[in-house]
Amino acid sequence: MIKMRRKRVCNFCKENVEYIDFKDERKLFRYLTEQGKIIPRHTSGTCAIHQRQLARAVKRARHLALIPFVTDFTR
Amino acid sequence: MAVYETIVILDSLMAPKEIDALLEQVTGIIKENGGTVRKVDKWGKKRMAYEISKKQYGFYAAIEFEGPGNITKTLESDYNYNDKVIRYLTYKYDKQKLQSLKTLAEKEAAVTESAPVVEVTPAPEPVTEPAAEPVVKTAETVEAAKAEATAEETKETEE
Repeated sequence: MIKMRRKRVCNFCKENVEYIDFKDERKLFRYLTEQGKIIPRHTSGTCAIHQRQLARAVKRARHLALIPFVTDFTR
Repeated sequence: MAVYETIVILDSLMAPKEIDALLEQVTGIIKENGGTVRKVDKWGKKRMAYEISKKQYGFYAAIEFEGPGNITKTLESDYNYNDKVIRYLTYKYDKQKLQSLKTLAEKEAAVTESAPVVEVTPAPEPVTEPAAEPVVKTAETVEAAKAEATAEETKETEE
């Protein structure tokens, strides 16, 4: 995935998101790398408040097997 | 009292009746410990992102409830005792979630307030009644027309 360096606007703030739902895995996938890692704040541009919420949501989703912990390419 | 939600992944090979029984057992535990069940939501059978205890599919179910904090512990011990529960997650609604619920409720209230104005105009009942009547009328008219036709024919013959 191409990392966007220039854009520094929080997507969640733009869309007035109050709560990041971990049940909606498709939205969470936008903030994960191909390996399933959480994209850091300085590349995705999310603000601190939403990044914290996002991290919690991702971790919950991983626990419930909605999102993989790691994705292996060598299958 | 705080609001919680508990999500369970059950064995997907279970019969629907068994699933219902297990969910009822969970709601029973919540009620016994002084909680109130708000919502029971069955997501259905889903493919899990990774294998858990050599299973690829799981049946997801979520129960939203309100009550004291000791419920989570009793639920946990019950889940650990049950072999059919593959994975579970019980969490407390934080203030962001509660806020989003509030705004959702407000939006719905706004929709319901504006909705009755729209709902007054359509009236489906009168449509069905005339639909039934014309059939009878047409039958009558056909008969009447036939009678008229025969009458005319007889007149013609008389002439």
